[in-house]
Amino acid sequence: MPHLRHVRIVSQEKLAERTYRLRLICPEIARVILPGQFLMLRLAGTNDPLLGRPFALYDTWGDDSSSPLGVDIVYLVVGSMTSRLCTVPAGSVVEVWGPLGRPLPAFSELEQVVLVAGGIGQTPFVAYTHWLLGSRGYGGQAARPQARRVLLYYGVRTAARLAGLTDFQTAGAQLYLASDDGSVGWHGSILDRLQAEQPAGPLIGCGPEPMLKALARLARQWQRPCWVSLETPMACGIGACFSCVTRIGTAHNWDYRRVCVDGPTFEAALWHDAFSEQGSDAPLGSTGA
Amino acid sequence: MIDLSVQLGRLHLRNPILVASGTAGYGRELADYVDMALLGGFIPKTVTRHPRPGNPPPRTVETACGLLNAIGLDNDGWDYFWQHHWPHLQTLPTAVILNIAGKSEDEFVELAADVARRGVGLAALELNLSCPNVAGGLDFATDAERTRRIVRRCREVCPNLPLIAKLTPNVTDITVIAAAAAEGGADAVSAVNTYLGMAIDWRQRRPRLGNVTGGLSGPAIKPLALRAVWAIARRRIIPVIGVGGIATMDDVMEFLVAGASAVQIGTANFYDPSVACRLIQDLPAAIAQLGTSRVRDVIGTLQTPE
Repeated sequence: MPHLRHVRIVSQEKLAERTYRLRLICPEIARVILPGQFLMLRLAGTNDPLLGRPFALYDTWGDDSSSPLGVDIVYLVVGSMTSRLCTVPAGSVVEVWGPLGRPLPAFSELEQVVLVAGGIGQTPFVAYTHWLLGSRGYGGQAARPQARRVLLYYGVRTAARLAGLTDFQTAGAQLYLASDDGSVGWHGSILDRLQAEQPAGPLIGCGPEPMLKALARLARQWQRPCWVSLETPMACGIGACFSCVTRIGTAHNWDYRRVCVDGPTFEAALWHDAFSEQGSDAPLGSTGA
Repeated sequence: MIDLSVQLGRLHLRNPILVASGTAGYGRELADYVDMALLGGFIPKTVTRHPRPGNPPPRTVETACGLLNAIGLDNDGWDYFWQHHWPHLQTLPTAVILNIAGKSEDEFVELAADVARRGVGLAALELNLSCPNVAGGLDFATDAERTRRIVRRCREVCPNLPLIAKLTPNVTDITVIAAAAAEGGADAVSAVNTYLGMAIDWRQRRPRLGNVTGGLSGPAIKPLALRAVWAIARRRIIPVIGVGGIATMDDVMEFLVAGASAVQIGTANFYDPSVACRLIQDLPAAIAQLGTSRVRDVIGTLQTPE
């Protein structure tokens, strides 16, 4: 049962340029959270910034994966909240509620899964790789292999932004890198590399919206199962505010769905925004408002 | 033992702390965070006659100590509400106050008449006369005469339920609108809905909200809401439910002293989902600090210079 908790920071570690790993002690959340779910985190004792922000589970930590002691999140400093968060010292308390949202898709006896990450969108994929390969259990369940191989296609602006490579290697992912400036891996976008190499298996993407739209269209072209994990502006994370909506296909046309409770992961084929421009068509049966 | 109960016209509440419409979904969303058996009352998200997809995202943006929103009354419509949300709401161990919005006066009346037929067990009906984020304008409460007419006609077709008019602060003098609601037969007014505002990304030369403008809420507007509540309450026009940036015990007490007979917690639910229950638990101690044992003895006791 998710609750608001005052949670203590164990450590903050810089992983890459403007990228930090925050380790939190929260056994109640750590015991039940699954890869792909997220937490809302808010700075204590201030009204500016006012709202919590969503952060994906990076991984659980603790001696025994069946009873972990806490969670790690990894974040990029982008705005007022994260620029303050990275200065909060170990031992401080932050406000956390979760776990929230639905997990990434589970499989059984799959040959290969392809994860596609852009920028800070790699963060849900460490725990997910462990989960898929059965090297770590989550949600109080024993580790169970769901796939034989996990490929991570991971694109960044520049090599200095690569974060968590050793964690992915430890988890057992095979890495395929790309950078916009050619400083590491393939010179160009990760989608270009994916398109050139066409690895087999379902595609699961997380990253900037234009990248995810391109991935969804590519998956449709390849007739490949595909899921995208979205991030939209969120006020509450629990389904109360109706801020974080995205357009998801319905039996008739589309409707706004809340990313926090109906997502954050959606079947790419149902993600209406990937296949049409915003506002270009109205849902059937709407009042035109 | 502190008596927390309050009376607003025909509406009796066991305590004065409610959860505001549009900030807590339909009751299920906050189930893990809020003990409904403690709440003074629960107001589900506005229901409209027809389903409304709501505004294009981004629908919210954070501003200094505040939240600017333009959700656009996203809801699945009247029939869906009664089929899917009402059976659950009926089971909540608190006063449930239905919040409705019509596109026209006639639609308000049509919905209110239907509430009279179907809303067995409802504690009250709140008329959302003040949504600022809907094309064509549902902010009826910018006009005293329309406010009076809608309230009167809703009261006629739904005579047995306490009626609350939720007012917009985006007017020259909110007391005139509150008086119109009182004349129309409202039991109370909720003051205030959000303040019109906007946020701009100047580098892109674009508005930050899909709807361009939105309504501001949160601690940023608390002094504004407090002034509006006091302005209505000091003239003893009609019982007032204070709403606008209330998040702490001090906020609650300030509104009560200013003259609010009850308060609604809104934006704070988003960043502190269990706040309403905590405030209810802390309220008796705050009342006792004023040397009284009844919330009612605190309401409207502000002492101003002659």
